[in-house]
Amino acid sequence: MEFRLRNYITENQSHALPRLRADAHPLSPPPQPLAQVNVVVDGGNADFFDPLRGGIDNDAKATPRDPESLSEVSSDQPMKEWTSFRRLLMQRFPVSKMVSLSSMPDVLMRSGKSHDKSSTSMHLEELDDPQKFADEGVKVITWQEYVSRLHELKDEITRSWLGDDRVTSLKLSIKVTKLMVDTSVSEFYPTLFVLVTDIMDMLGDLVWKRIKQKAEFTENGASLCNLAENFEASDICADAKETCYNWFSKIGAVQDLLPRIYLELAILPCWRFLLDRPTDSLQRLVMMTRGLGDPVASAYCRLYMAHCAQKLPSHDIGYLVTCVNDLRVIVTQILAANESTVGNFKNNKKMQISLMEPTIEYIMKCLFSGLSQRRVNEVLSELGLMKNQQNLGTVSCVSIVLHHLLKEIPIEVISSNVVHILHLIEFNKDNSFDQHLNYRLLGFRLYERKCPVDIVNAVLDKVMQVISLYVNLDEFLSVVDAYADLILQNHMDNHLDIILRGISERASNGGVTVNEMSSLQSLLVKILSHFECLEDVFCLNHFPEILDVMHGKSQDVVFLHILNMATRNGPIRDPTSIQLLSEISQTLHDNMEFMNVKDDDSQVARSVSRFVHMVDYGTEMERHLAFLVDCRATFGRFNELKETLVHSSNSLAIQSLKCAKKDLSFFKSCVTFSEVTIPSISGQRQFDLFLETAEVAFLGGLVSHVDGLISSGIDCLHDRVDGFRTPADVEGLVSSIRKLCGFLIMVPGNISLPVTYFPNNLITLISSQSWFDPKMRTQIFSAILLLLTTLSQKILPYHANAQIPGNDMLYYGDSSYKKELVSLSKVVLDNLLCAIQQETSQVARGSMALEACNCVASSFLLSNELSSICHTLIGTAKSCLSAQDRCLQSTIQLVNKQLPTFAGVEVSNSV
Amino acid sequence: MSVHLKLSRPNRIYRPSELLEGKVIVETQSSISHYGIRLTIKGSVNLQVRGGSAGVVESFYGVIKPIPIVKRTVEVKSSGKIGSGTTEIPFSLNLRQDENLEKFYETFHGADISIQYLVTVDISRGYLHKSLSATTEFIIQSDKGDLLQRPLSPEMVIFYITQDTQRHPLLPELKSGGFRVTGKICTQCSLSSPINGELTVVASAVAIQSIDIQLFRVESILHGEKIVTETSLIQTTQIADGDVCRKLVLPIYVILPRLLTCPTIFAGPFSIEFKVAIVISFQSELSKLHKKSDSRTPRLWLAMETLPLELVRTI
Repeated sequence: MEFRLRNYITENQSHALPRLRADAHPLSPPPQPLAQVNVVVDGGNADFFDPLRGGIDNDAKATPRDPESLSEVSSDQPMKEWTSFRRLLMQRFPVSKMVSLSSMPDVLMRSGKSHDKSSTSMHLEELDDPQKFADEGVKVITWQEYVSRLHELKDEITRSWLGDDRVTSLKLSIKVTKLMVDTSVSEFYPTLFVLVTDIMDMLGDLVWKRIKQKAEFTENGASLCNLAENFEASDICADAKETCYNWFSKIGAVQDLLPRIYLELAILPCWRFLLDRPTDSLQRLVMMTRGLGDPVASAYCRLYMAHCAQKLPSHDIGYLVTCVNDLRVIVTQILAANESTVGNFKNNKKMQISLMEPTIEYIMKCLFSGLSQRRVNEVLSELGLMKNQQNLGTVSCVSIVLHHLLKEIPIEVISSNVVHILHLIEFNKDNSFDQHLNYRLLGFRLYERKCPVDIVNAVLDKVMQVISLYVNLDEFLSVVDAYADLILQNHMDNHLDIILRGISERASNGGVTVNEMSSLQSLLVKILSHFECLEDVFCLNHFPEILDVMHGKSQDVVFLHILNMATRNGPIRDPTSIQLLSEISQTLHDNMEFMNVKDDDSQVARSVSRFVHMVDYGTEMERHLAFLVDCRATFGRFNELKETLVHSSNSLAIQSLKCAKKDLSFFKSCVTFSEVTIPSISGQRQFDLFLETAEVAFLGGLVSHVDGLISSGIDCLHDRVDGFRTPADVEGLVSSIRKLCGFLIMVPGNISLPVTYFPNNLITLISSQSWFDPKMRTQIFSAILLLLTTLSQKILPYHANAQIPGNDMLYYGDSSYKKELVSLSKVVLDNLLCAIQQETSQVARGSMALEACNCVASSFLLSNELSSICHTLIGTAKSCLSAQDRCLQSTIQLVNKQLPTFAGVEVSNSV
Repeated sequence: MSVHLKLSRPNRIYRPSELLEGKVIVETQSSISHYGIRLTIKGSVNLQVRGGSAGVVESFYGVIKPIPIVKRTVEVKSSGKIGSGTTEIPFSLNLRQDENLEKFYETFHGADISIQYLVTVDISRGYLHKSLSATTEFIIQSDKGDLLQRPLSPEMVIFYITQDTQRHPLLPELKSGGFRVTGKICTQCSLSSPINGELTVVASAVAIQSIDIQLFRVESILHGEKIVTETSLIQTTQIADGDVCRKLVLPIYVILPRLLTCPTIFAGPFSIEFKVAIVISFQSELSKLHKKSDSRTPRLWLAMETLPLELVRTI
């Protein structure tokens, strides 16, 4: 076995690819093929909905919709909104397990059960005086039972409808709507509303379809006409009209008010069969709703009205204006009653208002959706809010109504009437809604669009004046938070100063609660995001004091923000900043045990590492190293950070080498710092860091350190098995080991150690560790083989520098040196061939055989023994890979070229 | 073997000047022969007098001879055979004959007075077989020509209901606290449109339980020397449920029930009139013990106002 002689310089020249100028940047996007890709995606995956491409596809799909279904009388959009609104409505009020009713309606009793319960005598009693029976006490039913009973009723209604027993359907529907009369179910009422109106909508659909059918087909099924979407009452035949009129008569005959309104609303679209302008009915219905004395029941009735009106093709919003005005009167009355009563009753009022709130919200939304600005002004004056600008003080609006109004009216209207709106907020202070939340809302609304500075000034002057009277920090903060963006955007430094002072004063009086903390966090984050430079923020008056009152999670969030901001641009040189940021980092580090979410932790660790990385003491390298030492002591729990410390100290060492006056002892301290830090790092990064440090030490000429570092690196692979789980990790390790092999070429031999000490160690390690799979082994053994070949050359391909002699000089002409290399090569070759045999996957085995063959052919002069090895390897590759494989073909060429001519046996190219 | 009648209009409403059209439908397993198919239309006012409210002695109780309006028989098919399976025989006949100017009152189903029109088919099959027959009711609405020529008065009657307008005893708290409900309501009303009006609770010290509009019919029959009058509730429509806001206008909107109402009639032997009552129930412990009842039995917690209502047929 004999090493092949290499001439690296000529080989480099002959193998180097010619350099060509490129026209396009390789990473710039390819211009054309995008369209093609799209076509493929569309064809292959039709049911996948891409929201970005939704526009075109969706419309196409929407057209062939079932024309029969009723809900599409008007556009789909409001119905979708309604669906999501209903879901939110049910979630908004948590329902307790039991629902209490003021009386148990018999419709809720299952027929079977009621038999068990009531004996004949009770039956008689009930017949005699049903109301007395019902009023005996508060009745309870479980929530699930109530809901499932309603589902059953829905099924019963459908069943009897399908069985042509429409009278029963109507009777059951009346009973169902009667359930809406009892508002004593309180939190359950919204859920009840959703379930009952679902049944009502279904009934409305059925009636609509039936009359439409009568209008379009005769009794015998012959087609009469095909009604267009926008049909008129004159298109409808007398028979269908008669049926329709009958439905309205039947419903009109219902004695109780609430069921009568709900049922007429359910079949409201059917007015179109009789009238061309069905809107008048809405105006009447909204007036009829005034007859419902219970505030909650009447509010929900109006909510259902707003929903049903959307099924009409076009409708005037006048009825909604009446709705809002009436709701306002009702809330005012509830509030007035509030003052005269006490205790429990007050809670009840609060409950009523909170139950009514979603109805106000939805009606406002319907009222203002899609209105022109002119129309909005008209509506506002119809609501009595714009009439007389002169005596604003008398305008009464109820703050909860005002709140939802402010939410919905267009921002243009707000900014053009802002003074007026401020007056409205000021004069509507009542218990239905906290006044400061209206100020807060105004702040957010104004920030939606850029407002003229004079308006912002006027508003802020007023708002600052109002909040200066707030004693409560929570209220103060929630308003200030809403205006912070405006203040920052318009650079109103005096206001900023005032609010910071305000916070500081109020916080020092009575601590900061959890709620307040989150407002404070939001505010501080806004301020931090606004400023470019951290110094500017800290220059603000009271900012540091406010920072001091923060604690807990909010503190972490703000600190993290500060840290990220500081490390956003450029190195950090200012010692005070470094000091401050260190303290902040330390707080974050110490708080870590309170944060359980892993993401947060790693984010903190990343930010702190980044901070440490960005710190730059310039020429004061000693201080820098001291800082790193401190960091290691302080941030013991951040694994990631220690890696940064090693990198930093290594780069510090390199920096010191470049310095004019070389300080070898400082260099040594850096390397030593790295060396002692690495073992405390967990995971697979140790090996790389040892290698990196070894390279640094080598550059500084610390050869003995290098040996130690390489040994430690190889040793750490003994105990670190768990780290390499993913294929990427494994690949990383293999390439690191290859890098080590490349590095070892430069490292001079040590007299006290055998020549092949490190390669030997590597082989021993790999053979002893079963977790190196055959592929890794093949790659590493090939690398070692190439290392040994290179070391045998007369001139090494590269050297460190003039101070450190390479092995080519140290062992020049030493035959025992070469012998040792050869003998180790034999061991490696055996191991290599063995590893290939162990591979189970065919394709992998083939390419491994090729890699080994290339390695052998380029390393050794091919004796008979070696050429037969090459033949075997190529044979293996041929059996595993296709004959067309490019790598296989070029390997065969290489082997043929390297074969001495006397061997005479050419490797056949055919398979 | 069965026979039934099917009229041309599903709602079975016809005017006296119109043709009554339809089909006689015979279903039979085997063919049958007959001696003619005849249709009979018969309209009459049926009256009965009951004791009770009129305070008449028991012996008065009983059915009074009905007042005939129309009775006519027409042969739609002379004797012949009907094949097996389903056979449809169309018919069409005049309701009003020129020479005969009887008054076609509108169909009405009341408690003591009922105005009814029937059409009957008879298929006589000789003495050996039972003749086949079927009867169905059709509904008469006045002719356009007979309608009230003057326009309906759009005026409404204004009403006030206070503790002082009540002629029956009231709860002490109602008497002392006082209440005032005002409004207006139309008292001449077309049968095809609702009773319209409005109502406002101006003030009430006691909370309101409910406000209802009650519709009554007043049927009077001349029985010998006496006029026997019976008033009955035909429909209650709630317009306020619970203690409504004061000073808000509530609409009165009552759709008149079909068949149970007809144009107000003042005929010689009988009359049919209507009344409307606005009934306010106040919340009280006492009212919980009693079922809802009509306003004819005045209760301590009720206040009401009753107004005559003239119903007319318009186009």
